[in-house]
Amino acid sequence: MSDSTLSFRGDVFFRKFGIVAAFIGLCILVSILCQLRVAAGDWPDNVFLTAANLMLILHQISINGILAIGMTFVIIAAGIDLSVGSVLAFSGMVAASFATASVGVTPWSGNYGVVVPVIAALVAGAACGALNGWIIARFRIQAFVGTLGMLLAARGFTMALADGNPISAISPDLRWFGTGKVLGVVPIPVVLFLLVFAVAWTILNKSIFGRHVYAVGGNEKSARTSGIKTPRIKVLVYALAGTLAGLAGIILTAKTGSAQTNAGSSYELDAIAAAVIGGTSLTGGVGRLSGTLFGALIIGVMNNGLDILGVESFYQLIIKGALIVTAVIIDPSRKQTAL
Amino acid sequence: MKKSLLLSVGLLALAATLQVAAAADAKKVKIAVLMYGNKAEFVQLMQRYGKDDPAVTSGVADITFYDGRYDASVQNDQAQLAINSKFDAIIVNPMDFEANIPVVTAAKAAGIPVVVTNARLNTKDMNSEVVSDDVLGGYLEAKDVLAKLGCKGNVVIIEGPKGGSGEIQRGQGNEKALAECPPGAVKVLERKTANWSRAEALDLMQNWLSKHHSEINGVIGQNDEMALGAIEAIKAAGLNTKDFAIAGIDGVTDAINAVKAGEMTSILQDARGQMQGSIDVALRAVKGPDFKPLSPIWKQYEKDLAWNDGQSKRYDIPWTIVTKDNADSLLNDRK
Repeated sequence: MSDSTLSFRGDVFFRKFGIVAAFIGLCILVSILCQLRVAAGDWPDNVFLTAANLMLILHQISINGILAIGMTFVIIAAGIDLSVGSVLAFSGMVAASFATASVGVTPWSGNYGVVVPVIAALVAGAACGALNGWIIARFRIQAFVGTLGMLLAARGFTMALADGNPISAISPDLRWFGTGKVLGVVPIPVVLFLLVFAVAWTILNKSIFGRHVYAVGGNEKSARTSGIKTPRIKVLVYALAGTLAGLAGIILTAKTGSAQTNAGSSYELDAIAAAVIGGTSLTGGVGRLSGTLFGALIIGVMNNGLDILGVESFYQLIIKGALIVTAVIIDPSRKQTAL
Repeated sequence: MKKSLLLSVGLLALAATLQVAAAADAKKVKIAVLMYGNKAEFVQLMQRYGKDDPAVTSGVADITFYDGRYDASVQNDQAQLAINSKFDAIIVNPMDFEANIPVVTAAKAAGIPVVVTNARLNTKDMNSEVVSDDVLGGYLEAKDVLAKLGCKGNVVIIEGPKGGSGEIQRGQGNEKALAECPPGAVKVLERKTANWSRAEALDLMQNWLSKHHSEINGVIGQNDEMALGAIEAIKAAGLNTKDFAIAGIDGVTDAINAVKAGEMTSILQDARGQMQGSIDVALRAVKGPDFKPLSPIWKQYEKDLAWNDGQSKRYDIPWTIVTKDNADSLLNDRK
């Protein structure tokens, strides 16, 4: 792993498996709480631990998981992408405009099959992302500011596209991406999420590009002196995050059957949370996708478990907040930078 | 850098020119409409009915919409802006029950009529309120669900953002209907917020279905979007929506289509009634007793809604229960 230079001896085990332990611990905790309800006679069985419920958790994290994968690349490259929620909404709206039975919501709206809306949404997402990267690299502005601009602009484009209206009556073909199942069990969003994870993991860990992403995030100056075209890496990284936001937009539109102007609001925060809980350092150069996977799983188990246990949403937010901060505090791989 | 500076100067100049052009048309009554946001279909409908208002199309009134960006303090600032820009009247669709009272206070201090529309504001100083009674809306939808269940079984309630006037008042209406069933006959299995969002309600309902299997008989969504999210969750779980009694409020287009498909009941909140009613009341306040209302809504609601020379403190725009019979005409109305 490229971040091995930063490891502390003896912490290797914890660093590699701490997140897994945290995940398993959380699952055990929720199971016990559910089991107590069963013992008290409230429930007939432990609903949390059913196969259907575990598949449901995977289903529910797939959108955040896909966003978080892109976010992990960006953060490893010492950036941040605040725009993914808005780009998701924009791409979802673009996809919907090419896959709807309602004519006239946009000048071109109609049903163009499945390839056109998917490509259009991915291109829209990639374009937003590439623009993010280009602006950040070319004008040397902070990623926070650059992507904040896109957060606002992409939301505006989303609304402008259909005059502020939602686009519904999505074609069954496109809806397959949200509601379809492989072999009648595994939801398509889960399949897409795992596919994206596999491809992204290979790129980050086995390709030259992946090594360059770590290098740019670890020390941009020395990356540049060693001949890495850092602006190009940045554009590619943000374009990747944008493309994945586009894919997530397709899935959300397909899942809910409607592209809405407020879709994906604050999704960027959950994506950042998943990456950070998974051990990716906001100072760049450090992070792994397996961590992000478990980060997303932890958030998913928490949301699902707290809903099942009937915990009020206020406490859900408090617990999530505490978890993020705790994850960073106990992460032994974090760089000791006092800001 | 220089280019962008030039561009912004150019845009400013353009905006100024437009302002002057608008000011030259002095005969029109200038009305500022402060909307709490513009990211929902209902708000879009209100804006559209505003632009289609007979007073606007015939040139009696000129209306300008402001997007409050879901922030009460932004709306308060926009009220001041409207006062400074010499608007003749203000219509406000407030974000917050308390925090937007300054809109009314400032307008009154400047001697400008102010009408509150759609949502409530905790003051009596406005000229009029043109609203729909959310308690009644919540009552009607819950009543529909409970009637379908014959006051027997288990329901879940998907709530609006906690503490908002919509959640509080529609919740009161839900409770009122539940209290009319025999004690213990209907069990509220779960209640939680999904923040008016279809995507959030989908996840929430999936989790509830996972927990309760087939015990849930009814879904009371405090708006249509969340009821639609519940429908998607039911379908995703491989269950049949026909086995559930589901209701929502607002009458958004997707919900009307779902009513047509026999999947839910929706209680239509009349965006046209609220918007055009407000415009007429504001015009009456500006133009005086000779003004006769222009919108067709007064004729439409003749029986339940008296014009009263635009002097009523509160106009309750009636709810309409969307049924298979009126769904098509409601949809056609939006084309």
